[in-house]
Amino acid sequence: MLFNVKKTVAAATASTLLATGAFAGSHALSGDLVIFSDMSNPAPRAVMEGMIDRFGAMHPNLNIDLTVIDRENMKTQILNFTSANAPDLTNWYAANRMIPFVDAGLFEDVSDLWAEDEFVNNLASTKGALTLDGKQWGIPYSYYQWGVYYREDIFNELGLTEPTTWAEEKANCGKIVASGRACYTIGTKYLWTAGGWFDYINLRTNGYDFHVQLANGEIAWTDPRVRQTFANWRELIDMGAFVKNHQTYSWQESLPFIVNGDAAAILIGNFAVAPLREAGLNDGKLDFYQFVSINPDVALAEDAPTDTFHIPSLAKNKENAKEFMRFVVSAENQTLINAGDALGQLPINAQSAVDDDKFLNQGFAMLSTNSPGGVAQFFDRDFPAEMAGMGMEGLQEFMVFPDNLDEILERLESARADIY
Amino acid sequence: MFPKPIHRSAAHWQVFYQGMLPLVMILWLLPLIAVAIFSIKPAVDFTNGNYWSWPSSFEAVENYGKVFFASDMPQYLLNSIYITIPTVIGAVALSCMTGFALGVYKFKGNLLIFFFFVAGNFVPFQILMVPVRDLTLDMGLYNTKTGLVLFHIAFQTGFCTLFMRNFIRALPFELIEAARVEGVAEWRIFWFVVLPLVRPAIAALSVLVFTFIWNDYFWAIVLTQGVENTPVTSGITSFNGQYRAAYHLMSAGSIVAALPPVMMFFAMQKHFIAGLTLGSVK
Repeated sequence: MLFNVKKTVAAATASTLLATGAFAGSHALSGDLVIFSDMSNPAPRAVMEGMIDRFGAMHPNLNIDLTVIDRENMKTQILNFTSANAPDLTNWYAANRMIPFVDAGLFEDVSDLWAEDEFVNNLASTKGALTLDGKQWGIPYSYYQWGVYYREDIFNELGLTEPTTWAEEKANCGKIVASGRACYTIGTKYLWTAGGWFDYINLRTNGYDFHVQLANGEIAWTDPRVRQTFANWRELIDMGAFVKNHQTYSWQESLPFIVNGDAAAILIGNFAVAPLREAGLNDGKLDFYQFVSINPDVALAEDAPTDTFHIPSLAKNKENAKEFMRFVVSAENQTLINAGDALGQLPINAQSAVDDDKFLNQGFAMLSTNSPGGVAQFFDRDFPAEMAGMGMEGLQEFMVFPDNLDEILERLESARADIY
Repeated sequence: MFPKPIHRSAAHWQVFYQGMLPLVMILWLLPLIAVAIFSIKPAVDFTNGNYWSWPSSFEAVENYGKVFFASDMPQYLLNSIYITIPTVIGAVALSCMTGFALGVYKFKGNLLIFFFFVAGNFVPFQILMVPVRDLTLDMGLYNTKTGLVLFHIAFQTGFCTLFMRNFIRALPFELIEAARVEGVAEWRIFWFVVLPLVRPAIAALSVLVFTFIWNDYFWAIVLTQGVENTPVTSGITSFNGQYRAAYHLMSAGSIVAALPPVMMFFAMQKHFIAGLTLGSVK
């Protein structure tokens, strides 16, 4: 499953002229740079190879050795290679997914990078996601927004406007249900979609800091504030807001409801836009709004799963790796790799340009200007794996049998005692 | 014991039978028909919820083209061949020898050893999952074709031995005795007398083991990962992308993956049926 692409610099031809401008002042590197990447799907892979070509052109005396590992296999192999034959850079994920590596001393502290002007000024939105114990352990290269994708034509037909408060959200939903539709489609067969709903209602009810504390096991599941989150959620469930039998659909299988107009909206990540567009929902029919505010006292915070680079502690060429990190987060590179014809996601750097895409533009504006509370990583990345697994089962059960809530919370609470 | 031949029953029964047969057959094949239809649909039909109706466009060339030229399927198919063929050869060769030993020689513990082989068949293979994975890891065979082949040979030999031993046991013992009287060495008896006689059993067994191993999914996902060693059955799941599952390509891939054993069945139909019934009818 390993693919070796050796990029010796002599081969990296005439494109030298291309990239140097933005990096005036950075000296040319020499020696080696070994990168293990999990960007194995075709488009991400091209992005990774493109970055290496451009970086190599800037540093003609640097030997860059890229190994692409299948995205799923990476999850089992990263522990092996960070604890033995470590590369200089590896891909991974932000937030709690870093904990095992940080705790075991396998990731290098890169707080010094985050003290540089570029990071302080333009990358603040994701700093929290890469911080553990007050230090930063890696850098982001891409993320994407979550939010409510809705059928603009159905909203127009029913005379609805984009809601901004919980009361408006529920009023809209009441009218949608009265028109014989479900407000939201969701497929909870693989559980994680329910995690999205919990994240948002909890972030809006109790705020980002509370959410992170809950994820870190510092707050009881039976806490009245957690119950308040579920009580808010239950208001929607009792209205019949969600499509029936959602526990039998995957998220993709839940899409026909919104495509066929049986449901008016879906809370999902931006990756859902591509299939919805293919299915005929053009930009006139599909639109996006930020999840509404519930408790006016808490700052808005979003889910935006972030993909990252890290330096293993055992790396041999850490200075070269840090220079590559500076290159990855630069506004120019961020614009390039997140464009619609590359990753099709959001750039991290606030100075980057976003592709002219309705949803990317809205997401970029939302995350860079209207998410003062912070950026969460999503339920299954913020909570430790075991807690996330049990938690999401509980969330699905709650959506189907809301009356079981006490039992579910007791169960999660006893799991919390074991896991943390 | 046998059902009464249909042409001997009353006329109205015959009509009923002939009417129901195609219906039941279609019902029974429905899942397969669905996969075949899915495999020529465009991706957008799945987002539209257009699962069962007429495809909105016919994408057979597109889908199968992608399976063969834009995915790792050819490599997975090759892996399957590299895993299946050595397993068939290994398991059949070993079981010919064990079958000969257990079927021809009378020694203490013969029956006991034979029962061990048979009992191996009754071990639910799921309980072996963790120990076998650890074993292959320790031996450095995890995620190698060799590891998978060795395990398959070991596990299939139990069934194959039962099969061969019973077949060899049923051979006329006089042939072997006659050879012994002529002073033929034991290994030459095995090679020149027994093996030619059990050729039909070898053919039947090869076909059976081929389909068993080709269709194995469990051990494929337990013992291998990644493009280089995974056989086609678990390779199909690579059409699940990071976010989206490509149902149409998965269906096309499944059809392609199912073809070799099906062709094997039609080519060797006689042996296959013989294999299933050998020993059950005397």
